Formats: sequence, C-alpha cells, structure tokens
Amino acid sequence: MTKRVGLYGLLSVAAVGALFPIVWLLIGSLQTSDELYRGKHLLPAKPQWSNYLTAWTDGDLGTYLPNSVIYTVSAVAGILVVSSMAGYALARIDFRGKAAVTFGLLAVMIIPAPASFIAQYKLMISLGMTNSRLGYVLILISAGIPISSLIMRGFFANLPKDLEEAAALDGSSSLNTFARVILPLARPGLIAVAVIQGLSVWNEYLLALVLFDDDTLMPIQRGLTNFVSAETPVQNILLAATAISVLPVVVFYVFAQRQVVQGISSGALK
Amino acid sequence: MTARSLEGVVLPRARATARRGSPLARRRALMAYVFLFPAVILLAVFTLVPFVQAIVLSFQDWDGVSAGTSYVGLANYKFVLHDTVFWSSMRNVLIFGAAGFLIGNALSLGMAMAVNRVHHGKAFFRTAFYLPGVFSVVVIGMMFSWLLAPNAGILNRMLGSVGLSGLQHNWLEDPATALPAVAAVFLWYHWGFGFILYLAGLQDMPVELYEAASLDGARGWATFRYVTWPELLPVTAIVSLLTLLGALQVFGTVQVLTNGGPADHTMVPTLRIYEEAFTNRRFGSAAAMSVIFGGALVLLAVLHLWFSRRKR
Repeated sequence: MTKRVGLYGLLSVAAVGALFPIVWLLIGSLQTSDELYRGKHLLPAKPQWSNYLTAWTDGDLGTYLPNSVIYTVSAVAGILVVSSMAGYALARIDFRGKAAVTFGLLAVMIIPAPASFIAQYKLMISLGMTNSRLGYVLILISAGIPISSLIMRGFFANLPKDLEEAAALDGSSSLNTFARVILPLARPGLIAVAVIQGLSVWNEYLLALVLFDDDTLMPIQRGLTNFVSAETPVQNILLAATAISVLPVVVFYVFAQRQVVQGISSGALK
Repeated sequence: MTARSLEGVVLPRARATARRGSPLARRRALMAYVFLFPAVILLAVFTLVPFVQAIVLSFQDWDGVSAGTSYVGLANYKFVLHDTVFWSSMRNVLIFGAAGFLIGNALSLGMAMAVNRVHHGKAFFRTAFYLPGVFSVVVIGMMFSWLLAPNAGILNRMLGSVGLSGLQHNWLEDPATALPAVAAVFLWYHWGFGFILYLAGLQDMPVELYEAASLDGARGWATFRYVTWPELLPVTAIVSLLTLLGALQVFGTVQVLTNGGPADHTMVPTLRIYEEAFTNRRFGSAAAMSVIFGGALVLLAVLHLWFSRRKR
C-alpha cells in the first residue's frame, strides 16, 4: 500500500516537473506586466486576454502562423507521397539495385543537419531559392524522406503476400492496386509518418533561420525569435506569443498522443 | 476489398507469373524505378549534393555573398584547429550527452518502470512525460529564459520565499551556472523520449520471464538486475546513442537561452558554425567545422544503425 502511494507520489512529482514550465508560461501570459514583476500572487487577478491580441498584432503572428501551416501541410503531403511510393517499391517489388537503394537511404539518413546546412544555404543561392517557400519545403521534404520511406517499407512489408497478384487477377492495374488496395491498408503507417513529420516540420528552426530574411515568409519559430530580438518587447506579450505558437502543437498532441508515441518508437527502433 | 478476403484467392499459376524476367515482373520493376525516382532525385539534390559541397567548401574561401570561391587548401582546417571556442563547444555538448546518459537514462528507465507498474493514470503520465518532447526548441528556450530570469523568474522567487536567497543566481548569465542550467533544460525536454522507448520495451517483455524469476526466488533488485536490465540492454543502447546525437546537435534552445554566452561558456558546435558563417562571414571555416563535427555525428549514427540492425 505505502509502496503504491510512493509510486504515485514519484510519478506525480515527475508530471509536475514536466508540466510546470508550460503552465507557468500560460499563467504569465495572462498577467499584467506589473503582476509579472512585482506580483505577490501566483494567479493573475484578472486574466489579461488582451495580451494575446497584442501579441498577435505586435508579433505579426497573423503572418507567421499561416506560413507555418502552409509549410507543414505541403511538406507532410510531399513526404507522404514520395516516401510511400519509395517504401512500396522497396517492400514489395523485386528489382535490380534494391539493396543499393536501401543502403543509400540509410546512408543519407545519417547525414546530420549541422553537417550540411551551410552548403544547403549555398545551394539555395545558386538555385535562386533563398527566401523561397518552394525551396524551404523541398529541403524539408528531402530531410523527411529517408526515415519515412523506411517506416513505410516496414508497414508495406507486413501486409499479406500476393495482394497485388490477386488484384491483378481481378483486372486491377498496378497503379490502381497501389492506390486502392495497398495504401488504405498501410494507413497506420501513413498516420505515424504524418504525425512525426508534422511535428518536426512545425518545430523546424535551423533552416528557417538560414534561408529566410524576408519577414513575410518566415514560419512561426523564426517569427518568434524575430519578435524577441526586436525592440525588447514586454515579457507578458512575449509569453502570450509563445503560448499562441505552441497551442496548436499541444492540442494536436493531446488528441493524437497515441499516434505520436507510436510514431516515435517506430521511428527510433527502425 | 480487404486483405483477408484476398488471402488464399491466389492461384499457383498467378504466383508463377511474377518470377523475375516475366513480363509482369519486368513491368513491376519499371514501376519500382518510377516510384523511387522522386525520392532519389530529392535526396540527391537537397541532401547529398550539399553534403559533398560542404566538404568542397571546407577547402575554399567564401564570404557568403560573392559569386566566386577560391581554393585555400587546408587553411580553413588550420584555422579551425586553433579555434578554442569551437573545441570547447564540442566539450560542452559532450557534457550534455554525459548528463543525458547518466541522469536522463536513469530518469527515463525509472519512470518507465513506475508507469508500467501502476494501474491508473498510465495514459496521463505517458502524455505528460512526453509533452516537453513536442515543444519546439524556440518555445523551450522562451519558457526557461522566463523561469530562470534573474529577478522575476519563478526559480529565484521560490528560493527567496523559502529563505534560501543565498542560492539565488543569475542562472543563465553566471559562468558558474550557465552550462549546468542549459544541460538541465536539455534533460528536461529530452528524457521523455527515452521514457517512451523504455516503456515500449517493458511492455514487450514476456511475462513468463518474471514468473520464472520469481519462482527462482528473485525479488526486487535481483529481478531488475538479472531480468529487466539485460532484457532492456538493446533499448538502452539505442536510447543512449540517440540521446548523445540529440545532445551534440543542440542549437535553437541554446541560441534563445544564452546565445552561447556568457563569454562562450555555453557555446555549442552548431551555433559556432552558424556564427562563423553568418556573423563572421567565413563560410569556408564554417564548412570545415561542419565537416569535422558532422563526421563525428556520422560515426555515431553508424554505430546506432549497427546496434539496431544487430538487435533484429
């Protein structure tokens, strides 16, 4: 009995540790500047919802947030299309050079961002793609392909054998079989890939920092740091802007936590 | 059409047609090439070419603006060799990695075992523990610069209100505390990742193992030492390597928290590379740093792959 209580006590302490910073951020974002610096009370006397309005306008979040949505949706869509095709070929088709392609995927997967972001910047200059939405999305897609293809390959490989041949006997073309039979069956894989890549694209910062100096194109992470380094904004407004930026992620995570957790483990254990 | 209904429908003759060299097999091979084409092209242009270009650039001189670059031989590497800040930044991230390995792993494993034991609130604890893992590096930086702020920060205020004002610090600007503070922030957002993997490992463990151990009279520590720990060793290997890789690549959080300061005490390699290129306008030596640093990371990743392959 005491052991059980101790266990729950321990877990609760850890949960408070994990949750406290975000709770404290939310509380701060609803306080007045005065409360923030001189306040004796933990909670705001009266929640200052107007902080959020100020943050939205002063922080230009009306530009950055839609940008992030555009980048996330298009990069994830691209990753899903490209890596499900690649994963399918690797899992279910016998062709010359398969081992080499698989090895190549593993090899590019281990190229870390810090090794290539300088050269990626140079490449984008020569392609005329700095400050380009398309350029940023293409790099994001390419960064997500290796792991996603391997995850998809795993899901395709687990489908029953002979699916394609049976469908072919039914008169279905190969492409049709892929789109109508195979893809729907691999839905858990597609969801896992979408969830982990969605999070990683939304949170991407390094490339956004390097590739954009045009404010109107920046995603939210970059926009936030822009806001910080601007003419020293007020702390509570800064906290509100941060809260706005993280809210979509938190809501998404709470609803899709099972998929996130599964995606994380399938990605890491591949 | 479901997978189940299709199973067993296939005739032996249909199987035979899919042999290599048959028209169907050849058509499907063609399909494979078409399907792989977009992935290969994108990876070649946006990942592989820059990787090679980084190596080339490390032997060149470039200010980031002018069209031309000139070869300078090993000059960039010689320059980097004497950049003490770069090397101390490597040491800093190794400290993060060591902290993650010792403290983070223990925390991840301990909490995974605890969550695995309880009957109520499993989902809640799991969700809470991984929550920091979905925040962006920028958001984490913002949160902790506020928590650790010298006067209004909650940490110092709490220390003050319980009569421990002597322990108050300007955590992020005092050279004595800045690095441990950043390491603590890294631990805070990273341990949930190991926790998830450990929990998955524990849930995959056969119950019979524990039953057999308890029949043999194993209790508490002995069960852990001789059953849980060895069974989880492959997970520990992967978590440790991924933690190390994560620690080495820390960037955004540090940029927001301290920007490498005070006086480069919390500098990390990626930030150093970024500054060398975009502030100092020396892309050549920045590329040399990224080749050295990237090479080390690649080596680690190869180790990781080797471990995870061997596990199968």
